[in-house]
Amino acid sequence: MATEIPRLPEQMPTTALRYVGKEVKRIEDPALVSGTVEFIDNVELPGMLHCAILRSPHPHARVVRVDTRAAEAMDGVAAVLTGEDVKRWTNPTITAPAGWAGYCLAVDKALFVGEPVAAVAASSRHLAEDALELIAVDYEILRPVATPAEAMAADAPVLFEQHGSNVIQSRTYTWGEVERIFAEADHVVSNTFRWNRVGANPTETFGCICQWDLSDNSLTCRGAYQTPGFWALGRAMSLNLPTNKVRVISHPQGGSFGGKGGPRGTDIAALLSRKSEGRPVKYIEDRMEYLMAGFSQSWDRHYEASLAVKADGTITGFRVKLLDDQGAGAEGYGTISVAKPLAAFTGNYRIEAAQYDTTLVVTNRAPTGPYRGYGPPPHFLVLESLVDMTARRLGMDPAELRRRNYIRPDQFPYTIPSGNEYDSGNYEAVLDKVLRLADYPALRREQAAARAAGRLVGISVVNTVEPGVFDWNAYATVGIQGLGVPEGAKVAVDLLGNVTVVVGFNIQGQGQFTVAAQVAADYLGVDMNSVRVTMAPTDTAPPSFGQGGSRLGVAVTGAVLGACQKLEADFRRVAAHLMGVPLEQVELMDGRLRIRSNPAAGMTLAEVAGVMLARSDLLPPGMEPNPQATSVWTAAGRNMPDDQGRCRSYLTAANATHVVMVEVDRQTGHTDILKYFVVDDCGTRLNPAMVEGQIQGAVAQGVGVALLEEYVYNDQAQPLVTTFADYLIPTIHEVPMTQRDFVVTPSPVTPLGAKGCGEGAMHTTPAAVICAINDALAPLGIEVRETPASPYRVWKLLTAAGATG
Amino acid sequence: MMTKQRTRITVNGLRYEREVEPRLTLADFLRHELHLGGTHVGCEHGVCGTCTVLVNGRSARACLTLALQADGTEVTTVEALRDRATGQLHPIQQAFVDEHGLQCGFCTPGFLMTTLELLRDNPDPSDAEITEALGGNMCRCTGYQSIVASVRLAARRLRETHGA
Amino acid sequence: MKSAPFDYYAPQTLEAAVALLSRFDREGVDAKILAGGQSLLPMLAMRVARPQVLIDLGKVSGLDYIRQERDTIAIGAMTSKRSAEDSSLVRDRQPLFHAATKLIGHQQIRNRGSVGGSFAHADPASEYAAVAVAQDMQIKVFGPDGERLIPASEFFVSYMTTSMAGTEVLTEVRMPVLPTGSGWAIQEFARRKGDFALAGVAVTLRRANGLCADVRISAFGVSATAVRFPAAEAMLRGQAPSPELFARAAAAARESLDEPMNDIHASADYRRQLVKVLTGRCLAEAASRAA
Repeated sequence: MATEIPRLPEQMPTTALRYVGKEVKRIEDPALVSGTVEFIDNVELPGMLHCAILRSPHPHARVVRVDTRAAEAMDGVAAVLTGEDVKRWTNPTITAPAGWAGYCLAVDKALFVGEPVAAVAASSRHLAEDALELIAVDYEILRPVATPAEAMAADAPVLFEQHGSNVIQSRTYTWGEVERIFAEADHVVSNTFRWNRVGANPTETFGCICQWDLSDNSLTCRGAYQTPGFWALGRAMSLNLPTNKVRVISHPQGGSFGGKGGPRGTDIAALLSRKSEGRPVKYIEDRMEYLMAGFSQSWDRHYEASLAVKADGTITGFRVKLLDDQGAGAEGYGTISVAKPLAAFTGNYRIEAAQYDTTLVVTNRAPTGPYRGYGPPPHFLVLESLVDMTARRLGMDPAELRRRNYIRPDQFPYTIPSGNEYDSGNYEAVLDKVLRLADYPALRREQAAARAAGRLVGISVVNTVEPGVFDWNAYATVGIQGLGVPEGAKVAVDLLGNVTVVVGFNIQGQGQFTVAAQVAADYLGVDMNSVRVTMAPTDTAPPSFGQGGSRLGVAVTGAVLGACQKLEADFRRVAAHLMGVPLEQVELMDGRLRIRSNPAAGMTLAEVAGVMLARSDLLPPGMEPNPQATSVWTAAGRNMPDDQGRCRSYLTAANATHVVMVEVDRQTGHTDILKYFVVDDCGTRLNPAMVEGQIQGAVAQGVGVALLEEYVYNDQAQPLVTTFADYLIPTIHEVPMTQRDFVVTPSPVTPLGAKGCGEGAMHTTPAAVICAINDALAPLGIEVRETPASPYRVWKLLTAAGATG
Repeated sequence: MMTKQRTRITVNGLRYEREVEPRLTLADFLRHELHLGGTHVGCEHGVCGTCTVLVNGRSARACLTLALQADGTEVTTVEALRDRATGQLHPIQQAFVDEHGLQCGFCTPGFLMTTLELLRDNPDPSDAEITEALGGNMCRCTGYQSIVASVRLAARRLRETHGA
Repeated sequence: MKSAPFDYYAPQTLEAAVALLSRFDREGVDAKILAGGQSLLPMLAMRVARPQVLIDLGKVSGLDYIRQERDTIAIGAMTSKRSAEDSSLVRDRQPLFHAATKLIGHQQIRNRGSVGGSFAHADPASEYAAVAVAQDMQIKVFGPDGERLIPASEFFVSYMTTSMAGTEVLTEVRMPVLPTGSGWAIQEFARRKGDFALAGVAVTLRRANGLCADVRISAFGVSATAVRFPAAEAMLRGQAPSPELFARAAAAARESLDEPMNDIHASADYRRQLVKVLTGRCLAEAASRAA
């Protein structure tokens, strides 16, 4: 590569930025508001069949016999799939660590309510569901494992018999002299916390259309796929196909937040296609299926944690013991969310020593999957709650205690005890700004007056670091030794100077197509609305991972810039040759290849591209007639973890501080969010309006976690929350309209200085709301240590303290 | 059993006549019989509001309406908003684009239809009235703030064009 | 989440609807009335309800009206909740019923949902049922033996069960015009605005020489059917309104709750608490409205 990728927007070859850093409208939007975007359920293919899945009603049962004869005989049914087929044709799903999942259908045992047991392809979804009722399954009911304690009991039924135990992994990481630091502490502040299952619930559930080509034994999957390349690889491995015979075409998705899921649904639809003479088979997961058995459940956690604190408020140590209920296996990569907190284990603080004792177990609940934040959100509830407890014990203001412990601006890049390196940050600037925005002293005065009147009003000041842009080493601690996440983009200039950007992922709401267009347009000096961004399927796309871990804005920016720079190099050579000047005299500026000593002289991109494509005789020797370039971006400086999991795993560290004021109704336990302030710092804001949207959206999800959302199981591992009547997504009435401001501390290590920001406020909001509630309840000597802080839960605390009305 | 029956529904001004199974919902009818895919389905049990359309001018959950129940009615979907002749976005749609009132866009058609009903009934709604009107539509991406701003902007622009 | 198959009829008259119900009753066919569908269709989608036949009242003429007959307001069963909400007659003459209407679900549900449907469906969390028992409403049904009026106190029998025969159709609900000078209030507690109430209370009362008179308190969402609180009402009758009196009456309401429901959102004890709290708040609100 000739030049280094610009570290700041101002370094791009333009005299004035027109798009990057501006609140430009999104190019995705006109089609979305018109309702013409092809979400997968809008697609119909000739001869298409519809899939319905029969699911286990039992949490733990041997599948003795599956009789499908009546279903197969039903009019309109093309094929029925059973565990026998699946055992013959597929491999168990790959997990990390290995061996903690079964096949796409329960073969010998069903391990959770909702696990697929059989499936039907029929001429309509209605008929397919009718046919399910004709399938007779004999189950031998086994004792369910409903809780982690049951999972670890000596006489526990073992879910994955080949492992002989229900413990997936038990590992303690020790960073620094933890024993000594806790022994020497003036205060040890401890508590336990329970974070109940919540999950992504995008408005669109998973869906796919799979078609097995029997003539060349290849598979095409269209669908709501977040990470198409990764999916194609996974399907090839589970379905015993060569990797270059699986093609995934990712469709625009109605949100994902990590929890979109679909490996079982894809394999099932693919096999039904194989069994139906290669007809396309559509599977649309309905909402009840998603809630019960999609990648819809995350973070089922029991925490014990402590801070070691000096008398002056310096926090010297942090110990966490985590018991994580992964559910019935690791197929949703829920294990990774236990490891991710290593990327920001000690948050914004200079804590020098830490310990992380983790036990991951399987139970007969649904397997957990990814959800926005992917691990740190519960971790920060724990850390920030302990910091507030420390403030109360020391009689210090919680904002001042935090300030005292912040990593200082001159200490960046900062390596935290768990090994990750924070690229940059100015936590005090963010704190000062949010305290000013909130008029914090006035809030405290308001609180004092309310308290005098007997009202339970609370205020929190909560800060978190939001790791972004992971890479191959991030998940080595759970057994993935290397899974690179290169992100490629092809930028092409056509005969008339119009630009097309090709990427390997599709849209799901964050606006990465717009980011790509903004960057390409400013770099190449073209009108943003003339840039077309499009997705290529996995067989023709450049290497691509897609959305995840707040990486894609940064990664696609890097890829587009890299491709633009390759184009720039070629175009300069062609222009220099055509104009008869030395190469170093030619520069790209505002869309023109101009001569440095005579800027009025030059050629447009269109002119150069035109010559390249039309007049091969005019080109310099060795120059291909190819006005397009592909660049693949990956984070630099990634290293293998050591024996304590330490490595540079996440490239960027965004951060935010939230100030929240709540009131708890002492008669009902209901919490009202009165005021909500956010100041965030995610480095360069490539499109401020889009960043703001991510923040407000994540606040809404965080409020859901803190107050409303919960997957409840009974003591027989039966799910009690199976519809939207009981899984409570916040509506407009439950979400505070936040007041926001921002600080920009660019990243020194990313393209244009942007940091990953998509997961954003999800790291902070649950802690911010719970800490505010606990500030309200503090005078009563009670605290919430379980999410969500539902009115009923809070009322029980108030009642136990004799404080209800 | 389940003999198909005729339903005559006017959708976006065009009259359709189809034989359908009684259990077919209006949502599935619009999407798969008429191939009007702009009305999306989020939950199929009437909670999320993604499938909101107008039936005789009133917002309704298409998943909680049978196609046969809609016989003789006039249904309006998101496809009616864009100017058929020019392709220009309806002011409500344009306002959502201008105020970033969407991210993934899946819930957006439902919000647009609810907004259409609101602004026809109440061309100058207060923020409280906007919030009340939008209570039956769920969004998982935006946190609603930019949606309120979009509706506010749409209201203002519609008032300006109608000279109100 | 596609319904199980069913046959569908859309009779044009009430007599035809009843004739169909009778016929299917004789044939042992499971037939259900379809009104607005806002409660029934989700149950069909989840296949927890699987009627073989749906009889849609949507085409039956003469069931969509709101009218005043002397001191009574009569609302046709197929009147949409939206119409009730928009009706100035209902708003002015039966503000309790009007306020209850606005608490039901969301606009889209009220646009399609019928007034009569909530009565026939008899969900324990129905706001209308609480208003019905508080206001001694009457429910008119029509069957093979003709028309009859069922008082609300006899209409709601148990969880999702009314005293209607399987061959009867609900045609009208009748409520008294709220006497001038009445105070009223209805408040509910739900996890989110528009959700099913975990508990709710409805109150009407009047002032006679400054003292409480004609106090009616009912609760919804706490028991299998809406319940009245005669003990609490008696405590208030003839007494001067005061916060202490209301607190005692609220406590009495809580005590008289037999076996409140228990689910993942609220225990029986919590429902008792909510009844107490909402009763106190509703009494205060109603008193402030009373002339």
